[in-house]
Amino acid sequence: MNLQECYEKFGGDYDGVMGRLRREQLVRKLLYKFLDDKNFELFEASMQRQEYDEALRAVHTLKGVCQNLSFGQLYESSSRITLALKEKDYGAAAELAPQLAADYGRVMQAIAEYQSSVEE
Amino acid sequence: MEGRKRKNHTARFLIASFLGLLIFSIIAFSGLGIYMTRMSHSAFHEIGQIYMAGMSEQIASHFESVIKLRFNQVHALVSVVPSDGRDQEELYSELVYRARARDFGYLALCSSDGNFETLYGEFIQPLNPEPFVEALVRGEQRVAIGEDAEGKEVVLFGVDADYPMLDGSPSTGLVAAVPLEYITDFLSLNKENQMLSFCVIRDDGSIVIDNSHIGFGDTSRYLPEMLEAYDHSEYSAQAFSDALQNDQTYASTIKVDGKEQKLYSIPLSNSEWNLISIMPYNRINGVMDTLNSQRTRFTVLACLSVLVCMILIFIGYFHMTNQQLLELEASRRTATEASKAKSEFLANMSHDIRTPMNAIVGMTAIATAHINDTEQVKGCLRKITLSSKQLLGLINDVLDMSKIESGKMTLTTENTSLIDLFEGVVSIMQPQVNSKKQSFDVHVDNITTENVWCDGVRLNQVLLNLLSNATKYTPEGGAIRLSLYEESSPKGENYARMHMVVKDNGIGMTQEFLKKIYDSYSRADENRIHKIEGAGLGMAITKYIVDAMEGAIDVSSEPNQGTEFHLTFDFEKAPAREVDMVLPAWNMLVVDDDEFLCRSTMDTLKTFGIRAEWTLSGEKAIELAVARHKRGDDYQIILLDWKLPGINGIQVARELRRHLGKEIPILLISAYDWSEFETEAREAGIDGFISKPLFKSTLFYNLRKFMGLEKTQSQAQEQTAELTGRRILLAEDNEINWEVASELLSELGPEVEWAEDGQICLEKFEKSPAGYYDLIFMDIRMPHMTGYEAAQAIRKSSHPDAASIPIIAMSADAFSEDIQRCLDCGMNGHVAKPIDLAEITKVLEKALK
Repeated sequence: MNLQECYEKFGGDYDGVMGRLRREQLVRKLLYKFLDDKNFELFEASMQRQEYDEALRAVHTLKGVCQNLSFGQLYESSSRITLALKEKDYGAAAELAPQLAADYGRVMQAIAEYQSSVEE
Repeated sequence: MEGRKRKNHTARFLIASFLGLLIFSIIAFSGLGIYMTRMSHSAFHEIGQIYMAGMSEQIASHFESVIKLRFNQVHALVSVVPSDGRDQEELYSELVYRARARDFGYLALCSSDGNFETLYGEFIQPLNPEPFVEALVRGEQRVAIGEDAEGKEVVLFGVDADYPMLDGSPSTGLVAAVPLEYITDFLSLNKENQMLSFCVIRDDGSIVIDNSHIGFGDTSRYLPEMLEAYDHSEYSAQAFSDALQNDQTYASTIKVDGKEQKLYSIPLSNSEWNLISIMPYNRINGVMDTLNSQRTRFTVLACLSVLVCMILIFIGYFHMTNQQLLELEASRRTATEASKAKSEFLANMSHDIRTPMNAIVGMTAIATAHINDTEQVKGCLRKITLSSKQLLGLINDVLDMSKIESGKMTLTTENTSLIDLFEGVVSIMQPQVNSKKQSFDVHVDNITTENVWCDGVRLNQVLLNLLSNATKYTPEGGAIRLSLYEESSPKGENYARMHMVVKDNGIGMTQEFLKKIYDSYSRADENRIHKIEGAGLGMAITKYIVDAMEGAIDVSSEPNQGTEFHLTFDFEKAPAREVDMVLPAWNMLVVDDDEFLCRSTMDTLKTFGIRAEWTLSGEKAIELAVARHKRGDDYQIILLDWKLPGINGIQVARELRRHLGKEIPILLISAYDWSEFETEAREAGIDGFISKPLFKSTLFYNLRKFMGLEKTQSQAQEQTAELTGRRILLAEDNEINWEVASELLSELGPEVEWAEDGQICLEKFEKSPAGYYDLIFMDIRMPHMTGYEAAQAIRKSSHPDAASIPIIAMSADAFSEDIQRCLDCGMNGHVAKPIDLAEITKVLEKALK
């Protein structure tokens, strides 16, 4: 699996990220870092504790990362939740959360597969 | 053969058209001449006729007035001497007295029967009395010619008069006479040198007054009949007689002794006389002939001059045609010679190629046969390497030459450091010179302009060619000297004149050879240098490059004394730009079997800010790269030499691609023209080529180009220079976002510091000395302190830069109210995520202005 296939797998914009960051190495390095990023866990935990401000900050940061790395679908879902939380529509945010979790899981899995294929 | 045919054809055509033109112009001019002669002839006829008519009329009226005068005198005589009542004696004496007074030489009375009584003077009788007397009887006055007893001719004037005769009977008329000369003199009829000759004839054609100039002689004959004896085409005796009878004028032409004479007749009044004027044409003809002959002469002259012009043009054209044919012939010969030279070259080449090829084939066979004898195999391989190098050099020369001949060789003018270039040349030449134990002096004097605009690679080629010739043709232990010095250029202040001199004390060249030293495929074909390799193209290539650079190359040489090549160029000065040569801190691997090259490249790369490692073999390189790849810390660029011991650069590249994937740029370094193996290399995964020697500028520009910085370079050229040495504080809580931002920013050259949240950002700013940070990038949503709060706090702080430092928001929120809020909090601008280099450049440009 190469980087482009990985992006395709989780519905990201490979051309977009390469256009901005130019080098696959850099993108790869950032993807690996994303594996360690804790914002999603922070978001879920905050939602459970109903600490919506903290949840907003976490999902907003996640959204920023998605933008920088051109994670198309994950960006969409994180963006929707950010908007809902900003408007203090916590019910809508909670409804959107499973979608975010699904998209996040896809990204994480694709990156993990990619990493293992590279290291082979 | 065909040329000759065409030539003959052209010549025939030219001659034919020339003759045609000649004949045409002769006909045209003679036609014109004849026509003009005719026209003038008839014009002269007309003029003659008008002139004669005028003259004749004038003389006729003159004659008339003379006759009238005399008649008046006689009439007066009659009227003053009355006939009645007088004594006859007294009457006669009175008449005689008065007649004498009026200068009449003769006076007579005439009776009606024709009897003349002379009153004084000789006895006179009219020559033709009857018409005379008849006229008197009718009471008319009459003039006639008479004759005295001595035969002298007189002119008689008879008027009606009624005087008594001697016998008493009345007379019918009084007749007075004057000598004929009186009339002729008076009319000036027969003077010498007159245009016209005159004579007087009667109505019946008989001659009254002859003219000795005409000389009809016999006056008893009739003129109209006499004239018929002459050559007459126009003249008719009948018409003439009719005109005479009817008192009309008559004009005609007769020919006397072949000369044309104009004849004109006019009747004279008071008589039966006619004035005949004859004008010989030769008088007028003389004038006309002169005119004609002059015109003919001019016509012929004009005709001749036209012909001469045409002949000149014809000759000129013929000459030109011939010249063209000769040129054609010459160029054909040149082409033949060139193709002959090429065939000779091919023959030589096949020898030159065969020699190293034979060595390679032979050595390979020997090595195979002694595969276990390492020493022998090594020796064979060394020889094979040597031969391969020779062969490659040969092929490169041929390729260059074919590029030149097809006009495809172009110069790439770039900012070149002459010092670097010379250093490179020297380091390349050193081994060659050393192997022949020659001394090698390099003098670089008086250089104020280090950087010039020129094609460094080609200039390098020129110098290397001259230097390697110098080592080749200089025996062991000889001396080679390379010098560079500068002069002010005549092209202006922006130019520098560079002199480069390559001098040796080798075998030199003869004067004959110097003449054709720059010819392609030529080589001093002497036995003493026959064993020296080379295609004989080097000097042609050198000359071509020097010419293309608008430089000059001079050579002076003496056999066995040595050779000196002197190059002169006027280069445009270029700005020195060492300071600009900074690249991001990439990890890089350099693979080359030449340790010296590796080390010098390391030094160069270090000045760019690149962290580089090096290795001497392909196998080792693969090992290093794979190890790094496993750690996830790949090299960002790999430079591979094409020729490596063991597996070559292309194979190494193929291997690397297999392990590392395709994203890491692999560049091939080669001293040779890579066009021959370019396709193979590209297929193996080579991204680009860098030519050897690896000058600083070559490395810098190629690395920048292959790493994709070229594009932004043009956009952000100013910023790159400006941002180098600047410090930017970047507040961002997320590590990935921080990495992205700092990576993109680093390409613009500044130093980037990280603040993990708004609080840290504020602290870092407050602790910094004045002017330490040039700009702050601020994420908005951060733990502990948001970007808004941090910006407000910075603006309110007591730091000297608090108010002036530009703060740029960097946020995922791109709604206009968010942007507005950023500005309200004292920030200067806004960059939306995802971060884009072009956008950052734009914002920075604005903020740091």
